[in-house]
Amino acid sequence: MARTLMRFTGVGGQGVLLAGEIFAEAKIKAGGYGLKTATYTSQVRGGPTVVDITLDDNEIFYPYANDGEIDFMLSVAQVSFDLFKKGVSEGGTIVVEPNLVKPTDEDRKRWNIVEIPIITIAKEEVGNVITQSVVALAIANTLMNAIDRQILIDTMLSKVPEKVHALNLKAFDLGEKYAKEAMNK
Amino acid sequence: MALREIISSGNELAAHAAIDAGCKFFGGYPITPSSEIMHELSDLLPEIGGTCIQMEDEIAGVACAIGASMSGVRAMTATSGPGISLKAENLGLAQIAEVPLVVVNVMRGGPSTGLPTRVSQGDVAQAKNPSHGDYKSITLCAGNLAECYTETVRAFNLADRFMQPVFVLLDETLGHMHGKAMIPAPEDTKAGIKPKKEFTGDPAEYKPYGVAQDEPAVLNPMFKGYRYHFTGLHHNDTGFPTEEIETCRKLIERLFNKVEAHQEEIDSYEEYMLDDAEFLIIAYGSVSLAAKEAIRHLRAAGIKAGLFRPITLWPSPAARIKHWTDKIQKVLCVELNMGQYRDEIQRASARLDIDGLFKVNGRALSPYEIVEKVKGM
Repeated sequence: MARTLMRFTGVGGQGVLLAGEIFAEAKIKAGGYGLKTATYTSQVRGGPTVVDITLDDNEIFYPYANDGEIDFMLSVAQVSFDLFKKGVSEGGTIVVEPNLVKPTDEDRKRWNIVEIPIITIAKEEVGNVITQSVVALAIANTLMNAIDRQILIDTMLSKVPEKVHALNLKAFDLGEKYAKEAMNK
Repeated sequence: MALREIISSGNELAAHAAIDAGCKFFGGYPITPSSEIMHELSDLLPEIGGTCIQMEDEIAGVACAIGASMSGVRAMTATSGPGISLKAENLGLAQIAEVPLVVVNVMRGGPSTGLPTRVSQGDVAQAKNPSHGDYKSITLCAGNLAECYTETVRAFNLADRFMQPVFVLLDETLGHMHGKAMIPAPEDTKAGIKPKKEFTGDPAEYKPYGVAQDEPAVLNPMFKGYRYHFTGLHHNDTGFPTEEIETCRKLIERLFNKVEAHQEEIDSYEEYMLDDAEFLIIAYGSVSLAAKEAIRHLRAAGIKAGLFRPITLWPSPAARIKHWTDKIQKVLCVELNMGQYRDEIQRASARLDIDGLFKVNGRALSPYEIVEKVKGM
């Protein structure tokens, strides 16, 4: 596998960090290398947050995604989308939460914009907004086919308390379902 | 030595290193980007009968760690640059009184409160002389996740060996990045611990500072019958203040000699693809990760670049720096500051034509910025 670079963006407090950690860890458990870095502002909530995920079969030194080389971005906040979209390679995939992010026509020409209401899914269908990072995780992996599905699920479950395993599995399944629907559109 | 695979962050690895190295006390005050070290130790230390205290401020954090160390246990504090500024007075006390201590600084943008969540290497010069007066700093700098563990362990061993604070410099990138590290098993780390020197003769004969000119003080744990005077003033062999001319001279000279005479025990560096290199890149900390990636790109383009990475920053591996700067004409120092370590490279190499690539906006240096710079040299 060549290097896969993914970027999850939102604003502070949305919980985009966890998905990155799960991705990196799952890739390592699958026998490769994975790194997660997070960049955020000193605002406790509301500041733009970016999580870079680098996955490779060979050793990774530099832990950030280089602008222009990012294969996949997921964004749940307009401010983060505007700030970080330029890092995505032309034709790359950007998943946005359509209730919170409004891409321009120009954006749609340049990138493969996929609209999935991640937060609404987490809030209304899963029943807990916190699960949005797991919905996002499933969407990213389904669209990118980055990591063996079962290893990713096992890693995810190892990072959340047992009493919410069922809830997070539901979130993962829903993320997958919406991603597949988006791919078939 | 068998290595184990850990998936973690640099800060968490530093905390686990402290536990494996036998640390029993942490005193500190939370500060981004180092807080996870204290957070983790507040879980880990009570489990092994140790103590972790969040004090009222940075000054109290280091002060109680110094006190714990005087009682005979391995002690640590962790902070970021603004915290070091506040701790500076007590760090000087630990230098002159010769109290072993590990001080982790996870660097962020400065000066002052600067850029709290952003990466920097702006505290390299500070680590050499955080407090006023003359003493010889020992400063180690991790360059990858595994070294957040191994260099913290080494810091504890060097602190006991040389009886002084030892700095471990991480930076925001290393502290917060999350990935795989291959590190020694806890039992191998424990096997590497050498007990601190202790005086076992008649307590009436105990002279903690009455040691050879190239050796550190021998401070027995407090409250065990071996009394000594503890002061920040210049002192004689029993620790009592003195202004006697020869004693004062010998004390400060010894603080230098004890480190300089044993530099081979402290030196540490990595040499990466240097054998045939025509470009010498010097970088440390997280910047060295970008440098290694840049060297991959440069070599793929037929440009022979290599990396010299000091791991012990202070005292610098000056002889080895000179070896490479004598051999390679084109030298580039890459740092997330305005060239704090290039000054040292210039000194060690006796060359003033060392090129620099410096970045101070709180953002990481990308491999491509280094590639472009080298191509233009």
